[in-house]
Amino acid sequence: MTFYEKELNKICSIVYSNKGQINTAIGIRNYIENNYDAKLNLDLLSRIHFISKYHLLRLFKKYYGQTPRQYLIDKRIVKSKEKLKNGMSVTETCFDVGFDSLGSFSTLFKTKTGKSPSEYLKEQLSRST
Amino acid sequence: MKVTLISIPVRDQEKALKFYTEKLGFIKKKDTPLDGGNRWLTVVSKEAEDGPELLLEPAPIHFEPSKVYQDALMEAGIPYTQFDVKNVDAESERLTKLDVEFSIKPTIMGTVKYAVFNDTCGNNIQIVEEL
Repeated sequence: MTFYEKELNKICSIVYSNKGQINTAIGIRNYIENNYDAKLNLDLLSRIHFISKYHLLRLFKKYYGQTPRQYLIDKRIVKSKEKLKNGMSVTETCFDVGFDSLGSFSTLFKTKTGKSPSEYLKEQLSRST
Repeated sequence: MKVTLISIPVRDQEKALKFYTEKLGFIKKKDTPLDGGNRWLTVVSKEAEDGPELLLEPAPIHFEPSKVYQDALMEAGIPYTQFDVKNVDAESERLTKLDVEFSIKPTIMGTVKYAVFNDTCGNNIQIVEEL
């Protein structure tokens, strides 16, 4: 066994020993992955997974390094880039990935990618011609 | 400031280019001749061509400490870097068929699945899938 494998085993036994918690965290992530385009919030996620909001938040952050909200926003931005790349309009993309306001979509998109959705769309269209 | 480039030390740039494009599926982005047969050689992911470039840097040939460090990582089995994949099982199966050698087969660790292979240029590389 290499040094690396020994170290990973050590980490695994310390950080990843609670299988129940891990399965819950994975379940929450899967739910977000499959329902990123729906109206998601902590209340809903905690009801579905039968745990308190506070516990859910702590658990998710512990295993994925981000809050569920941050994870959801990143997922929506990745998906919106795909949709814009395929030529979908900015407004349609915004609602299709689950945002309910064009303003917050544009602001978040620009913060995350450095470009506004319309600039990004224009760039994609000019690339494909 | 933006992260647009990460470098990876390689023993042979041409061999590395072949491995990273033909086996891993990256695309050559920049190839500029430099002094003494060296090149500024970068590749990008096929799925994110506007993402960070990977510089295939011949550091171990020209700078002994780089070679020493690379050798030490290799011997300890430590990956030089890691790439995200959608499915570690499928990717490792695909790469194994292309004769890529894995030092760690797909393994679950908490909320990730990972595997480690040899890039034939002096590095262990880890592929990771979030579960």
